[in-house]
Amino acid sequence: MCIVYLAAFLFSLTSEQCSSKLIEDSSQSFMERMHSGKTSFIYFGNHVNPTIKLFVEQLVMSADALQDYGISVVKVNCSKDAIANYCTGEKLMTRAYLFRGSEVLRSFDIDTVFDVNAIVSHVLFSVLFNEVRYVHTPAELLRVESTAKQNSDIVVGHIPVLGLPEHRALMEAAFVYGTKYQFVQTTGTLVLKHMGVVDPSSSQARLWFLHCKGVSRRSDPCPSTPMRKTLNTINIHTFLQLMEAPLVPQTQHLDRATAQTLALQLRGEVGVVLIHRDSPNVKAALKYNAAYRLPQEDVTYFTLNSAEGVVKLFKEELLQEHKLEDEEEDEEHWSDLDILDDEVSESVYRDRDLMLDLESVIELTSDTFQTTVTQNEITVVLFYFKWDAVCMAFIQSYIEVADALEGMNGVKLAAVNCGEWTDICSDQNVTSFPTVLIYRPMAEAQLYRGMLGTKCLHGFILLSLVSSPYLLSSSAEVMSFLEGDLYSKHMYLTPVRVLGLFSSTHDMGVTPFEEAARLLRGETILGLFAHKEAEQWVEGLSVNLPALLVSRGPGVPHEVYSLPSSSPTDLVSLIKQVELDRFPELTVENLPWYLELGKPLLLLFIGKEDSTESTKALAEIKRPLSSGQLDSFLPCWIHLGRTPVGRSILEKYLGFVPPLPVLVMSRLKTGEEVFLFPPERPLMAKNILQWIHDVQSGHEQPAGLIPDGKWGPPVPFFDFLAIMDQEAPTYAAQRAPKMKTGGREDHREQKHVTQNQRQTPHPSPNPQAPRQHSEL
Amino acid sequence: MSVIQPLLRLLCVLSLVLGGSGSGSGLHGHNSSVSHEYCVLGAGPAGLQMGYFLSRSQRDYIILERNTGPGSFFQIYPRHRKLISINKIYTGRRNKEFNLRHDWNSLLSDRPDLLFQRISQELYPSADDFPRYLSMFVKELGLKVKYGADIGRIKASDSNGNQGYILTDQNGVSYQCSVLLVSTGLWVPQQVDFLGSDLVEGYESIPTDPEEFKDQAVLILGKGNSAFETAQSILGRASRIHLYSPSPVRLAWQTHYVGDLRAVNNELLDTYQLKSLDGLVEGRLEDIAIVRREKDGGRRRKAKKRSQTSKEGKEQLYLTLTELLDQNGNNISKVTGQNLPGFHTDNFSLRQPYDRVIRCLGFRFNFSIFDGSARPAQSSGARGRLPGVTAWYEGRGTPNMFVLGTAAHSRDYRMSAGGFIHGFRYTVRAVHKILEQRYHNIAWPATKLPLSQLQSWILRRVNEASGPYQMFGVLGDIILLRGSYCEYLEEFPLQALPQLSALSGRPLTDHGLLVLVMQYGLNRTDTLGPGRAESEWTKAWRSNFLHPVLYYYNSLPTEKDMRQRPVGWPLPRPEAVHHMVEDFLTEWDQPISHSQPLRRFLEHCLQTDLRPFYAESCFLLSLTSRTPPLFCRQGYLRKRGIVGNSHLRQHAREAGLMADHQGDVTPGDDTSVSEYLKHAGAAVVSTMNFDL
Repeated sequence: MCIVYLAAFLFSLTSEQCSSKLIEDSSQSFMERMHSGKTSFIYFGNHVNPTIKLFVEQLVMSADALQDYGISVVKVNCSKDAIANYCTGEKLMTRAYLFRGSEVLRSFDIDTVFDVNAIVSHVLFSVLFNEVRYVHTPAELLRVESTAKQNSDIVVGHIPVLGLPEHRALMEAAFVYGTKYQFVQTTGTLVLKHMGVVDPSSSQARLWFLHCKGVSRRSDPCPSTPMRKTLNTINIHTFLQLMEAPLVPQTQHLDRATAQTLALQLRGEVGVVLIHRDSPNVKAALKYNAAYRLPQEDVTYFTLNSAEGVVKLFKEELLQEHKLEDEEEDEEHWSDLDILDDEVSESVYRDRDLMLDLESVIELTSDTFQTTVTQNEITVVLFYFKWDAVCMAFIQSYIEVADALEGMNGVKLAAVNCGEWTDICSDQNVTSFPTVLIYRPMAEAQLYRGMLGTKCLHGFILLSLVSSPYLLSSSAEVMSFLEGDLYSKHMYLTPVRVLGLFSSTHDMGVTPFEEAARLLRGETILGLFAHKEAEQWVEGLSVNLPALLVSRGPGVPHEVYSLPSSSPTDLVSLIKQVELDRFPELTVENLPWYLELGKPLLLLFIGKEDSTESTKALAEIKRPLSSGQLDSFLPCWIHLGRTPVGRSILEKYLGFVPPLPVLVMSRLKTGEEVFLFPPERPLMAKNILQWIHDVQSGHEQPAGLIPDGKWGPPVPFFDFLAIMDQEAPTYAAQRAPKMKTGGREDHREQKHVTQNQRQTPHPSPNPQAPRQHSEL
Repeated sequence: MSVIQPLLRLLCVLSLVLGGSGSGSGLHGHNSSVSHEYCVLGAGPAGLQMGYFLSRSQRDYIILERNTGPGSFFQIYPRHRKLISINKIYTGRRNKEFNLRHDWNSLLSDRPDLLFQRISQELYPSADDFPRYLSMFVKELGLKVKYGADIGRIKASDSNGNQGYILTDQNGVSYQCSVLLVSTGLWVPQQVDFLGSDLVEGYESIPTDPEEFKDQAVLILGKGNSAFETAQSILGRASRIHLYSPSPVRLAWQTHYVGDLRAVNNELLDTYQLKSLDGLVEGRLEDIAIVRREKDGGRRRKAKKRSQTSKEGKEQLYLTLTELLDQNGNNISKVTGQNLPGFHTDNFSLRQPYDRVIRCLGFRFNFSIFDGSARPAQSSGARGRLPGVTAWYEGRGTPNMFVLGTAAHSRDYRMSAGGFIHGFRYTVRAVHKILEQRYHNIAWPATKLPLSQLQSWILRRVNEASGPYQMFGVLGDIILLRGSYCEYLEEFPLQALPQLSALSGRPLTDHGLLVLVMQYGLNRTDTLGPGRAESEWTKAWRSNFLHPVLYYYNSLPTEKDMRQRPVGWPLPRPEAVHHMVEDFLTEWDQPISHSQPLRRFLEHCLQTDLRPFYAESCFLLSLTSRTPPLFCRQGYLRKRGIVGNSHLRQHAREAGLMADHQGDVTPGDDTSVSEYLKHAGAAVVSTMNFDL
């Protein structure tokens, strides 16, 4: 009974709105619609309550609006035509769907599309998804900019809350101008800050025009013009029209430069026109050379002396409302200075009320230092400053290591606060902070050269406990060292083993090797096999003793290198080099070792999920590796799951993230181009080699550029001199040349004396008042 | 005593003669002669300080001292035996360098325990403790001091084309010195000539027993620390104490100059201002005369003879003016009332007679021992009491003769602490470095730092260095920029900056240089009034208290630049300047007010980004730009990146300083729309969160 009544009500609603553009679909017309391929926004309902009633009213209004964009707004009465999938389920009544043909582009909660503005903005945004870029961070915006440079201009809209009239206005503009300009929408406050807005907490919608098309060099930034009026369709339209208009139309003669400067500065607010004085229509008096007209006012003539004067006139006087705004911005610009702008300092600063628990770390003093560092097998000492953000960031990792190693015999972690114990730090020759030194009794302190992080330091300390070199006395032991018991003992630290092979302990190379091994303590597991049996290990290879054997774990073929006689430090760099993987997975921790090689990178990005595709791709790149065809490259890969920052790298390279896995060639040192292995081609060894060949012969177009941006100061500095000159003009000025060097004090003294002399007249015979003695 | 001394001297001479002939250096037959590369004249604090540095660098040196022990000035002065140099032994800190900021008596050495606090724990120690400390210093460091050698004559001589010096002592022994280091201090009491100056007692010889001043009216000439010290000791006995000198009292706590009146001695200001019969008067010393007159002198009615009874014949001293005395003669014995100012001006301040007049006008350098060509010029400042010296403390006109200690105060007279132990111990160190460069070609010690370490090194110096702190405005750290690294030179005499390369042996490149100076504010306001301290870092240049200032020059300032430097500035106008805002606790280590503004200044000077980055950011930047930021280049790419933990990186992400990779959109593939949807929804939600 109830249903019947409701149905009648719905029907009555429809009949009332037959003049509107809202279409009501039956199951048949719905099916047709599905096959038409047109875009439609459809709501499925089966009854009406007050909320739904309000929504339907909004739906009706939106039908008018969306018709202009070729989008039909449809209502389906499920009580009449039960359409499969949509007229059933919990979501019924509370959801609306955007279809393109039969495909659902997006579904909306009706709370999201609560009114006509929300409906129009969300629908248009979905439809325009490929045209309107959605950015969160300044970096993303910069990427959009860099692709747009010399190509098209950009319209950036900041919409703090989606679905409001401002959002709709922006989307409508995007629909109209989408082919002309790159539209960017952002909701993030970060981008606001980036655009120079000082108070990002204000929920005002904003719009900027970035003049990217006209930039002369790709390295230049796109100049931007903010729209100063409220965001609505008319204003956006006017603004974009102004942006589009040539800076100075009908330009003639030499005044052009002046006019252009003026136009640039007043862009978006005032149009600038040059008119020839001799033209018959000009009635201006000779003393005037310029004129302006404000909306709804007459033309006012004036004399232009300088472009700055005019800009001032407009900005400060004629456009009063903007003036206030500008002032506000200026003021807050400086308060901005009190925000920490580097990630390390800021993250440490956020922990300022956090008491560091230094319990597991011994704090050393001048009195305890010497005794402590000789007591343990290994004493690790961190030298730090309390006020140095980098030190304080590292000390957190350091404490983590200390906690992890607590209770371990023979290892102690200690710290020296160099702000207090400056004498220890000077005595130990520490000039860089933070520094970690490893002390062993009766040995020189060893500098920890690795990454300042928990994992690396922890591994280093554990490796330091392994004797270096590991002396092996028989082939059996060598076997065990490379893949047996001796191997598995330290397997969890590193899979790599490096073995020095000498024919006898008397070999000249043994001593430097042992010294090198000591230097590499904590970094590499080194074995030493000085024995006549060593010969066996190089048998059949083109290498003679002494030799260096590198094993990357059981089952992996060994690599053997001949070992030249050289100094321990040279040996260290040799060992570090042969240790490097030939097809490494790049991680945050190991990249520097590989970048040092200076080769172009052949970089494979692999997704989070270990798909068969990824494994295949890895194998395909490995294949040409052994044949040496990739020797001029560094083939490597990044796993986006383990190294999520890899995604940002990909985005920076290409401007977007293509489906993974993806192969990229980046010539970091030698050029600026990044090449993308065509995604449509299968990742096969021969294709890869062909592609490399094409790239080298210049047949491939680069997919992106690596900027050679100079890292200048990130913010303008606070110019005290300028402020002094402004507030106390003579204070910071060099003296006039003729003045003597004598200090200020001398002058004062002389002055004092002359004063006294002046005050002392010499009326000798009748000294009326020797008043020069004054009690002050 | 009188018997022993000549004996000792004889012994000394004997040993010298023996030693001289033994070493084969006695060229002049019977006239004994010794030669040394360095002769240090005077075993006071400055002489011993230089002795320490010469001994440490193993130079051929001798310290000549006329008395039998070191620091004999302090056996006599200050007359009332209380040192006013601060001996603050508890600072709450264990940083040895920092603690020297508050230890004004110790000399510099590499012995951590060779500090004055071993001798005395008093904040204002007794003067007797100081020679004891110096003796300990000599003994423990084994300095070569020759006592009892009273040099009466110094001549210039030519030694291998360079000017050397020959010193002759009271026994005719001569010392040939390639380099002479004069640290004789100031011994000659400063006097001003006026009529009746012979009636005046000197600070050096007044009795120190207050009882001798009982009920006496005392006029003290001078308003410095010795005048006030004298006044203070007799304050409870004298009836009236007046202090007379040309200039008004300068208070050390107002001028920040420790040579001005210290609050330790200023009780008389109290009794003056509370009208307890004491007072201060300003006037020229050259204009006055002191005349003797019998008590109640002047014309008397002959009839009354009863008035003069008890104090018959006791004469009193009057202050008058030269111009009131008879022009024709120095006959001041017949002084009449007309010769006194009170006769003309009935309320003349100093009209009452005095029982004593005491001169406390300070001391001057003894120029008399120097022969013509060896005599340094008189300084232009400090009333010519001091020898004039160059910015590197070499006597003007006397090459290879350097002046050390209090005598070298003309460089920073009434400005800094160069006339005092806690100041000149650092200038002596600086001069020694200059000697090492000039005579032994050993360049000024410099620490080589990668640019990424520069900021923390500056902060370290700012927070602990004692040299620039004590010798504010005079000694400063120089940072020579060399591209990707820099050289850090400590405590260079700022006025010698134009000669930096020659004096330090460190060439300059076209990368420019930075100078770190500690300075007091220049616009002195009411020292205790409101607004005396600045806490806003953007107004740091208005700081009134001691604070660090950095000057950036892209080329070395010339002497002309130096001469024409802005009034009151230690250095010429630089390309850029940075003041670190004064700090109540003198701890310049806060991230927002101190570190970040400093970093931005350095970034401007070096034209590079100096921000630190976590390893993850460096990873990204190293792969996506050809030259990553400096911190990544000098840290991460050298395998010393700062990884940080996830907790910190999360902070950085929340602050929006590090990109968040977890939730990035993946446009372009099939999942894009649904991914986008998550975002659009999230944006709505997150806005709401922001609004909360």
